[in-house]
Amino acid sequence: MTLVIRRCLLAVMVVVGAAVSAAAQTSDDFFNPEILQRVDVWMNSADWSKLKAAFQENTYYPADVTWNGQTVRNVGIRSRGLGSRSSTKPGLRVDFDRYATNQTFLGLKSFVLDNLTQDKSGIRETVAMRFFTRLGIPAPRETHTRLYINGTYSGLYALVESVDKTMMGRVFGSIGDDVQNDGYLFEYNYVIGSPWRFAYEGSDLAPYQARFDIKTNESKSDTTIWGPIEELVRLVNDTASASFEATVGPRLDLAGFVRYIASQNFIAQNDAFNGYDGMNNFYLYRLEASTSHVFIAWDEDNAFLSSDFQITTRLSDNVLTRNTLQLSAYSSKYFEGLLDAATSADGWMQTEMERQFTMIASAMQEDTVKPHTNAEHAADRDTMLAFAPARIAYVRCEVAKTVGTTRPAGCPASAGQ
Amino acid sequence: MRTLLLTVLFLAAGAASAAAQQKDKDRRGLVWDDRPTIVFGKDITIGIRGRLQLDWRQFDPEVDEDTFDFRTARIGIQGDVTRHFSYEIEREIDREAQFGDWKDVYLAWKTSDAFRIKGGRFKMPFGLEQNTGPTDTDFAYRSLISTAIAPGRDRGAMVYGVLGRVGYEVGVFDDDGANAELEEERFAVEGEDLEGVGPSFAGRITGDLFRLLPMPAKLKNANFGLAYTNAYVPEGLNSLKGESVFGSDFFERVYVKGRRQRLGAQFDWTPGPTGLKAEWMQAREQRLGQSNRNEDLSDFLSTGWYVSGTWFVTGEDKDDNINPRQPLFGGGIGAIELGVRFDELELSSASDEGVAFTNPRADYQVPNADRTWTFGVSWMPIRWVRVVSNAIHETFEDVARAPKPGVSSYWAGLLRLQVVF
Repeated sequence: MTLVIRRCLLAVMVVVGAAVSAAAQTSDDFFNPEILQRVDVWMNSADWSKLKAAFQENTYYPADVTWNGQTVRNVGIRSRGLGSRSSTKPGLRVDFDRYATNQTFLGLKSFVLDNLTQDKSGIRETVAMRFFTRLGIPAPRETHTRLYINGTYSGLYALVESVDKTMMGRVFGSIGDDVQNDGYLFEYNYVIGSPWRFAYEGSDLAPYQARFDIKTNESKSDTTIWGPIEELVRLVNDTASASFEATVGPRLDLAGFVRYIASQNFIAQNDAFNGYDGMNNFYLYRLEASTSHVFIAWDEDNAFLSSDFQITTRLSDNVLTRNTLQLSAYSSKYFEGLLDAATSADGWMQTEMERQFTMIASAMQEDTVKPHTNAEHAADRDTMLAFAPARIAYVRCEVAKTVGTTRPAGCPASAGQ
Repeated sequence: MRTLLLTVLFLAAGAASAAAQQKDKDRRGLVWDDRPTIVFGKDITIGIRGRLQLDWRQFDPEVDEDTFDFRTARIGIQGDVTRHFSYEIEREIDREAQFGDWKDVYLAWKTSDAFRIKGGRFKMPFGLEQNTGPTDTDFAYRSLISTAIAPGRDRGAMVYGVLGRVGYEVGVFDDDGANAELEEERFAVEGEDLEGVGPSFAGRITGDLFRLLPMPAKLKNANFGLAYTNAYVPEGLNSLKGESVFGSDFFERVYVKGRRQRLGAQFDWTPGPTGLKAEWMQAREQRLGQSNRNEDLSDFLSTGWYVSGTWFVTGEDKDDNINPRQPLFGGGIGAIELGVRFDELELSSASDEGVAFTNPRADYQVPNADRTWTFGVSWMPIRWVRVVSNAIHETFEDVARAPKPGVSSYWAGLLRLQVVF
């Protein structure tokens, strides 16, 4: 065999090997939480300047994205976020099919680069979503990534799975060959200056349209899309306790809802469904060929507020929460959900936090565009690491106190105990 | 609406009355010379000019366009100042009866047929149909290339004239024509200066080419022309764009930077009552440093053509300044003209390698084209009034970017009342 032929064969083997390797990669690899990823975005320098200058706008710019040796060309990229928008470290949304119909990458149509500007620790969002997944609550896959813009390190970001039809297929699976992702997906839209706590707003669909942005089946009629939302809100508000479960139950996964709000309370999330300024930060999905809705977790940057976050915080403010928990069965489920969360967190949460802190340490230190100092990050790191054990103990004690069961050892003394 | 109609009827009636007046070669003062005109002397005139176009339209399928369209309302003056100078000032009037955009505002030195100079705001010498006034075109709407590729008006100066049987026009202009105005606000990266468009250069030569060749006599007056423009376009979403007859974008602007060149060829032949016109145009726009990685992209191309034929069934000579042989108030029915036109505009990139994208920075752009048939009947009862009916059929190549995504073909019917003096 001549040297030339041997080299050709070697080259072929290398190419085939690389192709097989690339083909074997999946979206699970992309969002692998055990790995600090590297994502390169290539965009015209004028566009990057414009995006940062007009960071409050949702203007799309074309870009190429490279991950793990694979490049996707001509994707659309834009600034994103609400309170997290930044001109120096923009949160970004990447759409693979913006300029080429049906273009996907690893089966994904889009993903989000969370700039972590509201989280000095850098791990609130990623720990919260992994925790929710452990508890069986639908949540996006996430990990961390170093983001490079045109070859320049541009900060530590969270790599977040988009809540979209693709994710619904992953979460709700298939019945036979039918992927269960043809339902109606809504992103809750926090209307500034108009906090909402599930109060009925009349039969006109407009208020519900304003609060629930439709993300699938957009071409269907307003009545088909938002009619069931209006009906759900009306029934939640108008149905007496005696018939509440029978009436609302077919339209909302009540058990799943209670588990969701219990989990959010466990991680001391103050800006979520039972948030300080009304509802915020979630998706709602009406299952395919069904009237039933389920909640999807989203945006937990403000979680882990404090370990002594009260376990009954604002439970009576929100109409859906209040009327559901008035039923003793669901009130019990709520506290069971808190205890389950504590059990799941015990031995896992602090370890996971330490692992993530270790993984992102150098990327965080080298991130010069983050809106906080490395000293502030270090201080928040200590606060976070102290959260899990303190929270587990606090929740167990408070649940016992509230439901009247035996308090675990070490609970602080309180009146009546 | 009622006021407008009354105005139109008044003008039409006035025009009809005036038409009956015998022209007097020795007139002075306020006279009617196709339009109200103040004559100071043999070579000093102020002609008052007005144009009005009102459209009624129907669409199938329905698109987001008004049924009634107040298309054009302009008023102005034009005339001569001695035998050496001519001028025109025209301005648009909007729906609220307020003055709108300036149109032609120029002064021309015309002492010599071989060498004339024009300065001010006027149409750049590119495009046969674009340089025909909106009330003198054969169809209600100009062809797609005449509005998308031809530059239109701009501020500038031009020398022009006729040398033998060859006409020439060469000018320098401030920007690159009103049809190619910058879309995006100028944007400079920190530390860089803002750049402006232009100046642009435009030139055209026209001539009766067949007079030089052994051709049948009827073909001798066939006129041919070649035109060219060249301008610098600053960075931004500032390319030419594809717009349908009724203003829907079927190809949005892409990022360009560098030279914009246009090349055009025109043909105009008017034997007796018939007319045959054709034009081809292409614009090439550079995209220097416009890729996602700041590299050069292939040129962006806008290419199109049209061919049209018209016939005065009432026998008027197409070559003349059209005047009905037998006007409605002169015992006849006026002039009636039939016409048909096919035109096409395609936008694409010079590169067609790899995968095509609609991304405004993609090297290989997904092409899109609009192909239009226009069938027309015009009735000119008197010199100053014209009723135009057109049936327009548009077909889009990329249905995703059609006015209604997924629907490729569109019909529109139009009835226009036009008064010009």
